[in-house]
Amino acid sequence: MRIQKLFQKTRFGIFALFGLIVLSTSALCIYTVDTQLSKEYETNCRNIAKSIADSSVDILLNRNLATLQSLIDQFVEIQGIRYIYITSEEGEYLAHTFVPGIPEEVLASDPSSTEPVQRSIPGMGDFMEVGSPILAGVGGTVHVGMDLDIIGLKIQRAIGQQVILISIFLVVGVLASIWLVNLAAKPLGSLLSYAVELSGGQEESQTSKEELLAREDEVGDLARLFRYVSGHSSSPEGEPDPTPESPR
Amino acid sequence: MNLGDRVLTRRSLLRRGLAGLLAAPWMGWGAGSGGAGVLLSAGRASGVEPYQASEDEIVLGMSAAFSGPSRGLGSELYRGAKACFNHVNDGGGIGGRRIVLKLYDDGYQPDPCVRNTMKLMLEDRVFLLFGYVGTPTVTRVLPLLKKFQDERVYLFFPFTGAQPQREPPYGDFAFNLRASYRQETAGLVDNFVRAGRKRIAVFYQADAYGRSGWAGVRAALKKHGGQIVGEATYRRGQRFTGSMRRQVEILTAASPDAVICIGSYAACAGFARDAVDLGLRVPIANLSFVGSENLLKLLTEGRDDPEPYTQLLVNSQVVPSYEDTSIPAVREYRELMAHYDPQIPEELAKEPYTPFPQSFVSLEGFLDAKLMAEILRRLEGTPDRSGLEEAVFSVRDFDLGIGEEVSFGPARRQGLQRVYYTVVRDGRFVTLDDWQSWLS
Repeated sequence: MRIQKLFQKTRFGIFALFGLIVLSTSALCIYTVDTQLSKEYETNCRNIAKSIADSSVDILLNRNLATLQSLIDQFVEIQGIRYIYITSEEGEYLAHTFVPGIPEEVLASDPSSTEPVQRSIPGMGDFMEVGSPILAGVGGTVHVGMDLDIIGLKIQRAIGQQVILISIFLVVGVLASIWLVNLAAKPLGSLLSYAVELSGGQEESQTSKEELLAREDEVGDLARLFRYVSGHSSSPEGEPDPTPESPR
Repeated sequence: MNLGDRVLTRRSLLRRGLAGLLAAPWMGWGAGSGGAGVLLSAGRASGVEPYQASEDEIVLGMSAAFSGPSRGLGSELYRGAKACFNHVNDGGGIGGRRIVLKLYDDGYQPDPCVRNTMKLMLEDRVFLLFGYVGTPTVTRVLPLLKKFQDERVYLFFPFTGAQPQREPPYGDFAFNLRASYRQETAGLVDNFVRAGRKRIAVFYQADAYGRSGWAGVRAALKKHGGQIVGEATYRRGQRFTGSMRRQVEILTAASPDAVICIGSYAACAGFARDAVDLGLRVPIANLSFVGSENLLKLLTEGRDDPEPYTQLLVNSQVVPSYEDTSIPAVREYRELMAHYDPQIPEELAKEPYTPFPQSFVSLEGFLDAKLMAEILRRLEGTPDRSGLEEAVFSVRDFDLGIGEEVSFGPARRQGLQRVYYTVVRDGRFVTLDDWQSWLS
């Protein structure tokens, strides 16, 4: 029991160390993935908005709104993009992908703003919207809304994969530590039993005695020392050297 | 893993490529420069060869909706055209060559339509494209025609009144027979405004077709100093069984005097049904694309008293009423439809559809085919794409048999200009002549 208690502290130390590593690595991973992916999505969103804005100029100048709608319909098929709308320089909604209509939250916003905003639209979800000016704003503005729920889900998935990997390392590490600790604890237990038997003058088990005395590690040294001290070994001849070796 | 990876999938690359093709003419991309150049090179590598005329047939390629909620449009347009082509073929064809329609189903979806078009042009090597259905589909195909402009593959008489195939940069690759949505919406708005109904709302399909009609209504109202008072949208592919209550509520809040619908028959019938059920009692107008007979069938079938659902409907048409047998082409159409009664080929009839003996859409298909046959006749000798444009431009004041002469020219790529208006009387669409008395 005493030996188990001794190794419980070791085990606790190992758990604590692994736990700390897992928690700190996970926290860093979550922060990094969240930050990087959010930035990446925002950059993609901006690039898409700019791409539409660049290709919309002549279409708008030709007043070809059907082609403009066809163009944004293709971009809205990209996963993560939930809506696109294009406003004129006067703020009129020239093309959009909203069904069944343009939400009040969008109607209430500044149609010429290109700053990233987060919107919560009832019935649709949460969105990050970025804008890009057409012809420096004199041709209107393209607005692209990305679904934060989908982005959040993807970030969670990426983080989850990282955390699962780290957790697997934790479990493997803990199991390995238990096995290694047990590897050390088992001969110590035998040594303790052997010492108790010697002190009680009992006839020791031949098998366990031979196993212990044959060991060439610290446990074997201690067993031979106990045997010598208890007087069971008066003549070391023909038997293993009862004098413990100097500490290795 | 992330959006960056997502957009690099094959499908999204295709979409990006198509988006690039769509935008290329405006962005100044050309062969050998930038992304469009890469696509052009890819196209040449696919092995496009000059058209070789067959000895015994002229093959026309058609991609249309034969499945899905708008399958009635493709089916009816095909039936009308087929009746006419059968008649021409029975009379010896064009210079001994039979006119054959090579059909593909796109379900009124742009991506399948693009794939079908590639197949028709590159594998089937059809002489020309004919009778495509829908704006979102045709709008995506037009860049392909520009890409293969050296091959002179023209699109004849698509079943859409949208502007992209009537204007630069794609106007040179298509020939239209029907009046445009701009003309249809302008006519509807003018008549409503004249009747004192100036607060006009729009219910439209959230795509290029809906936007085309929306833009037409907006422009027409602008001329009267007005603007659209409310708008609601729906997604393409909506079925009649789907609810349109939210759309009705949005438009009701705008207190309109009339609603102009730019949609397909299933969605527009659903909207009209829910509008009546929710008490929105204003005239509901539909464009020719809606497919009037299918709309009427959905609204009336299984109802003891369908009149409340149909009495305020007004549909614009781009062909005269098929009930008006005083019109020579209508008589011919009715006779040939009864004689041939064309059916949809089995391989395309995946979903049940009961055709109408006559319909506005099949009459349009018939007139399209009649003019197509006339143009093919004007090609001298072996059919050659290089002579097609000249043959079309030779059509001047041509009597198609509907009382409106057809003319084409370099600056005139739309044959007919007239818009007709119809309302429901005794369970059928009849011509509306007096808007004031109808609205009073």
